Amino acid sequence: MDINYQIPRSALVWVLASVVMVIIPQTFRMPYWVTVIAVVCIIWRILIFTGKLSYPGRKVRVAAVIFTLLVSATQMRSIGLGLDSAASLLALGFVFKLIEMQHKRDIYVVLSLCFVMSMVSFLYSQGVVTSAYIAIVIVVIVSAMIALNKSPLSIDGRGTARLAMKITLQAVPLTIVLFLLFPRIAPLWAVPTQNSAAGTGVSDEMSPGDISRLVRNGGLAFRVQFEDSVTLPNELLYWRGLVLDDFDGDTWRRTRSTSAYGNAAAFANFRFNWDGRMDTNGMPFRYNVIMEPTQQPWLYGLHLAEPVSDGIFRSRNFEMFNNGLVTQRISYDIQSYINNQTDILLTSSPRRNNIELPDEGNEESLRFARELRASVDSDRDYAMALLNYFATNEYYYTLNPALLGENRVDEFLFNTMEGFCEHYASAFAFLMRAVGIPARVVVGYQGAETNPYEDYMIVYQYNAHAWNEVWLDGEGWVRFDPTGAVSPVRILEGAEAALREDPGFLDESLLATFGSVGFFNMLRLRFDALEYEWNRRVVNYDEEIQFDLFQELFGEVTESKVLIFLITMVGIVIVAVGITIIRVDSSSRRDPVVKLYLSVSKELEKVGLARKRGEGPLDYRDRVIAERPELAEIMNELTALYMQLSYEPEVSSTPQQHSRLKELKAMISQLRYKVSPLAKIGRTA
Amino acid sequence: MFSVNLDKESKTALTHVVENKFSHQVQVTVNEVSKALLGKDHQIRLALCCLFSGGHLLIEDLPGMGKTTLSYALAKALHLKYNRIQFTSDLLPADILGISIFDQKSSEFNFHPGPIFSQLVLADEINRITPKTQSALLEAMEERQVTVEGETRELPEPFFVIATQNPVSLAGTYPLPESQLDRFLMRLRIGYPDQRAERELFEMNTERDKVEGIKQCLSTEEVAEFRRQSAEVKASESLLDYVQRLINFTRGKDEFHFGLSPRGSLSIMRAAKTWALMCGRNHVVPEDVQTILPPVVEHRLRASTDEDGHTGASLVQRLLNEVDVIE
Repeated sequence: MDINYQIPRSALVWVLASVVMVIIPQTFRMPYWVTVIAVVCIIWRILIFTGKLSYPGRKVRVAAVIFTLLVSATQMRSIGLGLDSAASLLALGFVFKLIEMQHKRDIYVVLSLCFVMSMVSFLYSQGVVTSAYIAIVIVVIVSAMIALNKSPLSIDGRGTARLAMKITLQAVPLTIVLFLLFPRIAPLWAVPTQNSAAGTGVSDEMSPGDISRLVRNGGLAFRVQFEDSVTLPNELLYWRGLVLDDFDGDTWRRTRSTSAYGNAAAFANFRFNWDGRMDTNGMPFRYNVIMEPTQQPWLYGLHLAEPVSDGIFRSRNFEMFNNGLVTQRISYDIQSYINNQTDILLTSSPRRNNIELPDEGNEESLRFARELRASVDSDRDYAMALLNYFATNEYYYTLNPALLGENRVDEFLFNTMEGFCEHYASAFAFLMRAVGIPARVVVGYQGAETNPYEDYMIVYQYNAHAWNEVWLDGEGWVRFDPTGAVSPVRILEGAEAALREDPGFLDESLLATFGSVGFFNMLRLRFDALEYEWNRRVVNYDEEIQFDLFQELFGEVTESKVLIFLITMVGIVIVAVGITIIRVDSSSRRDPVVKLYLSVSKELEKVGLARKRGEGPLDYRDRVIAERPELAEIMNELTALYMQLSYEPEVSSTPQQHSRLKELKAMISQLRYKVSPLAKIGRTA
Repeated sequence: MFSVNLDKESKTALTHVVENKFSHQVQVTVNEVSKALLGKDHQIRLALCCLFSGGHLLIEDLPGMGKTTLSYALAKALHLKYNRIQFTSDLLPADILGISIFDQKSSEFNFHPGPIFSQLVLADEINRITPKTQSALLEAMEERQVTVEGETRELPEPFFVIATQNPVSLAGTYPLPESQLDRFLMRLRIGYPDQRAERELFEMNTERDKVEGIKQCLSTEEVAEFRRQSAEVKASESLLDYVQRLINFTRGKDEFHFGLSPRGSLSIMRAAKTWALMCGRNHVVPEDVQTILPPVVEHRLRASTDEDGHTGASLVQRLLNEVDVIE
């Protein structure tokens, strides 16, 4: 390859476009200085092309290598070895290669890296938008490859793009087949996701302000689809996450045996005897949840949920855990006995845990609780009285409550009287425990938005909620929601309706700006429906579904069947590619005249007189006549007609062509008769 | 090796002819010329085709095969002003184009036109002259005019060059480069006469006497008519497809050192149209293309393993056998 290879201008434009396009999704995740270096490299590359700068010298290149090494070393120390550091290292090398590409070979390296870089985006997100974007990126990269192989004088950008589009579209059927049927091999290695991608969603601690922070987030938590299109009213949609039963006067925590959630087994109590703990009479509601990654192990479900999918574990408090952190969008099926009782019995140890309070503080609340309990007959009445107390007194539901000092419960109950769900849940549990009634806080989500276009529900982060479960003898753990007493709208119509007027609710999200406009809302829901379908059908397509598909197609799945199938698929692909390479559109263009004429040769092949490759029609006629003089007349007429139709321009464009075609057809059938063995018998007889 | 058996083409040449004025005139001319060059009807026909197409002809064959006889007989039959230049290595451009000589009586320069100023020029052993003189000749062939001492002079109309080349004794020759070979519409080989023709040859006194006896068959006007009419011959889509398939076959393949140039493909069409006209048709059929393909294309093709440029013939046979007429 020549040393002075100059990239054609049009090709360079395409190459730079693909580089920019694959870098853009990374810029959101990479440290900002990587983006700065990328921009510098791209500008440098343009200046090289215009002749204002030269290729980097040895010193610059060595410096770049050392710089990259140092940067990756420090990054590994600060954020650890993982996807983020690997991605930014790759991006750095990628943009440096840009100013180094002198030969055509180098450009191919850059373009191949473009493909790799676009795949990196999929490690982070596999949504509709990313996929559509990467599809466009692939068209651009293919365009760059085409432009690179075009004449330097060609500036037909639209033609290049069209060809690239065509090539990409041609790949689609194969992609679909491979997607559906290629064996899913579990990755041999896994890229550890780094903690910098902080966990979202409900956490296993709740101090005042935690949930209200979450409510400001317009992000998606999960989507749910009920089997048989059941719709449940909003007030039943309590998506339980974690049960917090340890209170230190400030924060509610989940009791756990180990400090880190390394695996589900560490804190979900397995081998727990479920028999007799829950009442499994009646029909459960079955539903499917597709959850966004949270970097945490717990899952969400309705009251008394029972996992249907494998790999989900239940704790003794009916929480559910994934085996490992949820680092990717996952889908699971569960069923709930919405109306049934949990825990027939409360043993002494959990009872003790659930009435424990700090030794001192909040004296006023304790006194208030005792007085109130004394005035009513039963625990249930006491709980109802408390709810009534919240409802009738001037309590406010707000995202921006006043700050609380030492005795939080006291201050909240009797001074500030404003708070968010965590305040109410915390105070309610406190007041319950104050009189010896086991009570705990449950965090999760409440409510959902129904998408009318696709029949599923969307739960957003702003649906985050905290409520209580109180042990009532004979009734088990019963759900109480003091927030509902304060702000019934929150429970019946959702957080959006309750907090619409509240400054700070969703202040930075698009939903806040456009959510109320009908048209945009429709668009948003439509798009969400699309994304839901995509997640359900494409992203969640795994071995299991593939296995089912196999079974549906071929019956019982055996190793040999899979092998045969794979070999057949590969064979079909190779043969198809081979055929296209050997005979690019030969039959598709054939006009009827040629088709008819070729059938003549096919007919005569039976008597060993096929037309040879490269033999002209007149020569063929002469050869046939020389061999079989009895065919002279028909061959002469037939060939003359064909020559007229095919080679005499004035004839081939007249409307008579149709009748001549018919004539030709008649002659061919005549010929067929003449060469048939039957005719021969007739002659000899 | 140099006298390829032209079996296939000779057979084609006699068939597919429609009787009309043009085919009749051709037949008469061929008959007349073949009195001098016995048993070489097909070569005569091809030479005529080349001249009617307005192209120049390169005859490459061993000494004594009748190259000169063919060109001289053609000149006689078409009634063309004929000049023969025997090329040697010391020939200078002026020896071909002409020179201005000072006339002492009239005290001015008079231009003495060289042998190129005639309607049919036989350039004998063109590979013996130096590249400088070669290029002077080839420029005249291409431009059909000569510029001497700043003055441009038109060459007579029609203007044909029949160049001959001896392929055997290559010592002291300057082989024509591909770019110049490309200027010749056709390269012909005459080949050995068959036995009957050779016997007939023995019975004649001398060949030259026969040439002297050749009568004029076509007038200059009729030759010009052929050239005009051949441009009117139609080529259908199917035929153009076939020609394009032929051309594309030569391009971008490893065994071909280089593909056919656009000039080469234009030459195919030009010759095929003339051939169709000579066969009395107003449209081209694939057999026309196949007939003229070897002489038109052979010298433009060369296998990538080839050193001296004589693999064209086998490549053309590949073209004819592997590219299907109908697809």
